[in-house]
Amino acid sequence: MFNRETWIEIAHTVTANPLRTALTGLSVGLGIFILVVMQGLGFGLQNGVQQDFGDEARNTVWVRTGTTTLPFRGRQPNRRVQMRNEDEQRITEQVIDAPAWSGRRMMWGSTVGYQSEQGNYPIVGVEPDFDDLELLPLMGGRWLHADDLAKESKVCVVGENLLDELFKQDEAIGAFVTLNGITFRVVGHFSKNGRWGNSMVYIPLTTMQRVFTGSDEVDQMVLSTGDLDLEGSTAMVEAVDGDLRLRHSVHPDDQRAVRVRDNQEEYAMFERIFTGIRLFIWIIGGFTLLAGAIGVANIMAIVVKERTVEIGVRKALGATSGSILSLIVIEAISLTLISGALGLIAGVATLNVVAPYAQHDYFANPEVNLRVTLTALVVLVVAGAISGLVPALRAVRIRPIEALRYE
Amino acid sequence: MLALRGIEKSYPLAGGTLPVLKGIDLNIDQGEMVAIMGSSGSGKSTLLNVLGLLDGFDVGSYTLGDVDMSGLSEKQGARYRSRFLGFVFQSFNLIAFKTALENVALPLFYQKVARRERQQRAMEMLGKMGMDDRADHLPSELSGGQKQRVAIARALITSPRVILADEPTGALDSTTSHEVMQVLREVNASGITVIIVTHEADIAAQCDRTIRLHDGVIIEDGRSGEVVEPTARGANTPD
Repeated sequence: MFNRETWIEIAHTVTANPLRTALTGLSVGLGIFILVVMQGLGFGLQNGVQQDFGDEARNTVWVRTGTTTLPFRGRQPNRRVQMRNEDEQRITEQVIDAPAWSGRRMMWGSTVGYQSEQGNYPIVGVEPDFDDLELLPLMGGRWLHADDLAKESKVCVVGENLLDELFKQDEAIGAFVTLNGITFRVVGHFSKNGRWGNSMVYIPLTTMQRVFTGSDEVDQMVLSTGDLDLEGSTAMVEAVDGDLRLRHSVHPDDQRAVRVRDNQEEYAMFERIFTGIRLFIWIIGGFTLLAGAIGVANIMAIVVKERTVEIGVRKALGATSGSILSLIVIEAISLTLISGALGLIAGVATLNVVAPYAQHDYFANPEVNLRVTLTALVVLVVAGAISGLVPALRAVRIRPIEALRYE
Repeated sequence: MLALRGIEKSYPLAGGTLPVLKGIDLNIDQGEMVAIMGSSGSGKSTLLNVLGLLDGFDVGSYTLGDVDMSGLSEKQGARYRSRFLGFVFQSFNLIAFKTALENVALPLFYQKVARRERQQRAMEMLGKMGMDDRADHLPSELSGGQKQRVAIARALITSPRVILADEPTGALDSTTSHEVMQVLREVNASGITVIIVTHEADIAAQCDRTIRLHDGVIIEDGRSGEVVEPTARGANTPD
């Protein structure tokens, strides 16, 4: 079946009408190309969002407060709602049962100095649980301890960028830095992906409140939902939201004064979106492949029709139906396989070329799922085989004399 | 060599059947050169197709050599065609994208002969037809007479016992027709049975024997000089 003669015959046939062959091949190749590229883009989008979520544990609830937009209980709008330590204490002790939590206070653009080097970095006051809530991979030294908060120690944990930009070749652990002119000791450093991750300087929240802000205000509160499912985390969100609105007299419909974001719920929402996107890609890809298969079926039907007399001659010369059938089917498979493989290579190459220029907060590593793509190629080849088989079966059923008489 | 007994053949038509062969009894011996003549619709091409196992029959028996050809499977039919029979068609039916050499070698491919041997034998056969200098030419690069020589070479490559030729000179001018008939006579002289369907009396006259069909029945069968010309009978119009 797979001898040299067969391949020569196939080569003769496909090159006999190069434009038609090229257009059919294009439809198949384009089908695989579109599928590969769309899959890559879909994965890129998913990777980007997952990477963004990777900054934070999925089982966390982030609480922020802002300015009121609605009047409530005699209070005018545009009132600043400020969370304080007492809010965190009340919520974690009386309102919910969170396994971990941390207040968070941030100072953007603070001056950080080390010997003669200095730069602007955000300083963030946090509590000991924060590294688990934010998923901070510690690369050296230690994280902030409860004792650091209790003693309001002037210690800090710095991001990888500071090692490169300030410390250069020097050992950071144990070194002293100045944060807005106040001396702190570096006790650890971490490495993390994300926009600002590696430029952060973390210090104990209590130290920040004592040294820099002079108040017990916190910007944000991060709460772990532990092993709670989506329903449990939603209940936690409602409890925290309700408590803050009650305590700070915020209208229940005021969306800006109190904002409680459930990562689990957001992730579930993104999961639903990605499921939809994946389904969409499969539907589009499926129809594109179908179009390619129809193209092959079309050309094979035409080829077989054009070669009806030739089939009759071959039969008269001793060809069996099987030999003719295999010739046509191999031709269809070859056409599909070569075009599909070219489309696959073009798709992968395009993604590889585009990938370095397409890194974004919500888009990263537009990879190709080779298993899925090869499956699509196999499906297409099978479709190609069937496309060739149907007209070939019809042709070989014709008696030699009918084929010879065919005009 | 070839023996037909009571062969009947009909084609289905809307609302019935069209009988084409009506009880053909015929013996053709090894080494004969036979012309089959008849008017359009007389059944001469159908008879040739039945003899060539290109078409089946409804009733009767057909013996080729010592083998009963009734009820052959499609694969068996292909095998017997490949081993015993060679075909020459009016429109040559060479495969357009194959060279003369490849066309001649093709029947050997279906007999699973090795490529080198196929090419060697095909070249020898082309040489016998005086076509070896055209071995690499495509059919489109050959004249009508050259195409038919290649077709005859293709028919002979498997050393068949019978050559079946359907109007082999129908598409050729008289000079070329004469050359082709000369080749077929030489083939016959080598002991191969040659059966030619023709409507040309001068072609039939070059055969040993002429069989005339009318309306699916053999109406005359005799030495070529003895069979009455259709125009003289006033009954038949050539195809």
